[in-house]
Amino acid sequence: MIGIRNLTMTYRTAHGEHQAVKGVSVDIPDGQFYTLLGPSGCGKTTILRCVAGLEQPDGGEIIIGGRTVFSSEKGIWVPPHDRNIGMVFQSYAIWPHMTVFENVAFPLRHKKPKPNRAEIKDRVAKALALVHLAGLEDRPAPYLSGGQQQRLALARALVSEPRVLLLDEPLSNLDAKLREEMRFEIRQVTERLGVTTLFVTHEQIEALTMSDVMAVMNDGLIIQQGAPAEIYAKPTGAFVADFIGRSNFLAGKITAVSGTNGSSVASVATPIGALNARTDGKSKIGDSVTIAIRPENVVLVSPSAPADANEFAGTVDAVVYVGNLLDCVIAVGSEKVKLQLQPSAAVDRGATVRLSFPLEHCLALPQ
Amino acid sequence: MATLAAEQPVEPPRVRGFDFVPGGLLGLTIFATGAVLVLVSIVLWLSFTEGTPGDPVLVYTLDHYRAMFGDGFTYRVLWNTVLFSAVTTTTAFALALPMAWLMERTDFPGKPIVFTMMTLALLIPSFAVSLGWVFLLHPKIGLINQGLMHVFNLENAPFDVSNIFSMGVIEGMNLTPLAFIMTAVVLRSMDPALEEAAAISGAKPWQAVLRVTLRVLMPGLLAAAIYIATIGFAAFDVPAILGLTRRIFTFSTYVFWVLTPSEGAPEYGNVATLSVIMVVLAAFLSWAYRRAQRQAPKYAVVTGKAYRPRISKLGKWRSLAILFVVGYFIVSQLLPLIMLAWASLLPYLQTPSLQALESITTRNFVNLPKELVWRAGTNTAILMVLVPTITLILSVAVSWVVLRTKIKGRGWFDFLAFLPLAIPAIVFSVAALLLALFVLRRYIPIYGTIWILVLVYSVARLSYGTRMTNSALIQIHPELEESAKVCGASTGNILRRILLPLMGPSLAYAWIWIALLTYRELTLPVVISTSSNLPFSYLVWGFVQASAYGSASAAALLMLCLMLPFLLLYWFVARRAGMIAPR
Ligand SMILES: Nc1ncnc2c1ncn2[C@@H]1O[C@H](COP(=O)(O)OP(=O)(O)OP(=O)(O)O)[C@@H](O)[C@H]1O
Ligand SMILES: [Mg+2]
Repeated sequence: MIGIRNLTMTYRTAHGEHQAVKGVSVDIPDGQFYTLLGPSGCGKTTILRCVAGLEQPDGGEIIIGGRTVFSSEKGIWVPPHDRNIGMVFQSYAIWPHMTVFENVAFPLRHKKPKPNRAEIKDRVAKALALVHLAGLEDRPAPYLSGGQQQRLALARALVSEPRVLLLDEPLSNLDAKLREEMRFEIRQVTERLGVTTLFVTHEQIEALTMSDVMAVMNDGLIIQQGAPAEIYAKPTGAFVADFIGRSNFLAGKITAVSGTNGSSVASVATPIGALNARTDGKSKIGDSVTIAIRPENVVLVSPSAPADANEFAGTVDAVVYVGNLLDCVIAVGSEKVKLQLQPSAAVDRGATVRLSFPLEHCLALPQ
Repeated sequence: MATLAAEQPVEPPRVRGFDFVPGGLLGLTIFATGAVLVLVSIVLWLSFTEGTPGDPVLVYTLDHYRAMFGDGFTYRVLWNTVLFSAVTTTTAFALALPMAWLMERTDFPGKPIVFTMMTLALLIPSFAVSLGWVFLLHPKIGLINQGLMHVFNLENAPFDVSNIFSMGVIEGMNLTPLAFIMTAVVLRSMDPALEEAAAISGAKPWQAVLRVTLRVLMPGLLAAAIYIATIGFAAFDVPAILGLTRRIFTFSTYVFWVLTPSEGAPEYGNVATLSVIMVVLAAFLSWAYRRAQRQAPKYAVVTGKAYRPRISKLGKWRSLAILFVVGYFIVSQLLPLIMLAWASLLPYLQTPSLQALESITTRNFVNLPKELVWRAGTNTAILMVLVPTITLILSVAVSWVVLRTKIKGRGWFDFLAFLPLAIPAIVFSVAALLLALFVLRRYIPIYGTIWILVLVYSVARLSYGTRMTNSALIQIHPELEESAKVCGASTGNILRRILLPLMGPSLAYAWIWIALLTYRELTLPVVISTSSNLPFSYLVWGFVQASAYGSASAAALLMLCLMLPFLLLYWFVARRAGMIAPR
């Protein structure tokens, strides 16, 4: 397992200081696939490099497989070559002066106790077979395609059977099709080996499809963590709601709260009128909130049906055909609402329509 | 023409007269590359002929080659040169590699200062530094030797500045800045993740450096080492000032020696033959360099990301590292130059003491032959203005013809313009002498005039100039010119309005760099200068040859002081061009 407690890390350069990680705690049980997701520059790579021992944090504690490898309090610092980890770099970092075999054998040759030659050969072959590179042993490493280099990097990271595997945007240098293929392959391999994996990406599709648990980061902090489905369905803040998928946001003030803890409903005064939304139960009357609702959850209702709560009239502002969907923008009062429809839905620019915001999909997020 | 067309808009641009600018550029290119060809050919030609050139009957013969290859001393000189070059390269890298690593990979303080010092150290005339070493280590007048002999009651001087090994070490220290800059570039080109991946794989730091970093950098470092070895092979200043009086030769000084016999006329055929041998060996080294350089990018792992290497903290090693770098500057540059200043202020050399301080005098300066100094200064000034200007005009012409036309044989122009890099300076000098004495003779009497210097300096710098103009021109997208052409601009207009302004910063940088190299150049004038066209460096050389060390050091010091404002100017230009910069 990997344990990170209250990690802080500051880069000091000639141009000043920059705190890249501002107190992050993570617990990854054995065998879990854990993803750090966040916008560029939020500190994902930094956390990974701290776990690997490539950067020295300012404070906190890092535990790998029950062994404390860093602790500012106890003054512990284990250098990277003693941490028994596997890592795939964004640039793959394949050693260009070695063959495929030598690249994969390298970690075994520096392992204690050092396996004998026959065993090294055997384990390299197994590792290469795992990533479908069997037979390429004697190829000089620079003569591999991008996808093959990526697999080679994975084989090299796994060959010494490390307790944890660190992946830093391993797919970002691949083209779209290969990326999809490798998403499944990486997941399959880590699952088969049962290795604890910390994965870093800024692609939400990778995080959502691959992770057991994911964390959304912003500006050096973890904003929310949980299973992918939970994060998608119940973002706890506007940042997550916007970063994962797309959302419509309406700012407002709570005028009334009803219901019990956990499933309470708030009436919110918004620029387009009163709207009912679910809250976490801690919100009080008078709180400023942001209501988030995903475009695919907004529904068009017949204009002739009797008016109901959470329904508003609007005019169609824009319609864009994107293959399997229609992307619409509807003007409701001063606000623009994004909405997704089936291509068969007949909507025209300028038409007057009626929108419904189903209560179960409206989340009132504290500001 | 273009202005005419602009004034008479009724005339359609197509009817404009013949555009003679391309022809002019081609003419300049042919002149420049032709000069290289002629200089090389004349040496080759004379090495195969017998008798005084200019004789009505010329005999073609292999006698000179037989004589040179039959002479055991030639092999001795060859061995000396190889040894000298090897010691030079080893010393330069032993110092440069750790310093480059400190600058690129650690939190060494004050990096910009070190980079500036390194660049400036590149320009300090190495004959001035060598002269300082004479005063430090000469068996009879060297301060350190005399001091040690005095203190320990030694019979003989403990250090010998004139042997190949000491000369190689001194040359190596002079070339350390160049090796440093080349190594830093190589280090910078490596993806640091390669080293980090080794650490993750369980390799200890020294194992990672040994098995990954050095191996990956090897092709680049090898290319740099061959380059330094080539320079060491052709070096003249250090072996001339330290070794010539004791008849310890490398190829450069041997060529000079054979050309200036103490009695009788020089054997020009033998000089030419030695020059040819030197060119062949130097050409081999350049070939090896080009090969190694082509190998280097094979290992370059391009990720498109700017590399941000892990900066190691020096911690308790910090003071040791600072001591190393500061120590290098003190020992290799400051100490010899201080000795030079000290020697210039004394009537004869003495160990620094209160008593010696009392005998300080400006006599060495006052007694310098004023008229000669003035002439040398004027000549140097003329060279510093003309040489960079002519070199760059020729270089722009060559680059334009090579990169922007489809003329047949433009590859040859490029090759010939690159050739001077492979030709040792002393050979250029010899070639120009032979050309002036035996070919141009009375038809174009340039021997003894400043023009022979202008010619040989400009041709010798052509390879540097064209490398600069080539890379500047490559960065200018051809569409910028094509769009001007579509607007009806002539080649001259395109050159004046578009290309030259865009190449401006590169040209300014190259101009001042060539001017400074001209100022410090000793090898090129050493064979062809006379008392009428001598530059400043030759003046110092003349004093050294006459063993007038007091005057030599005074003149050298004067030269260094006059150089200061130019160094300052260079520093400003180079900094604006981004040429002096740590990461
Ligand atoms: N060596 C360094 N020196 C100074 N600042 C750094 C250094 N490395 C990273 N930073 C800064 O720290 C912050 C976090 O960087 P980090 O590399 O962890 O981002 P990231 O989340 O991995 O981004 P990306 O998705 O673009 O890779 C950034 O603002 C970055 O500019
Ligand atoms: Mg990153």
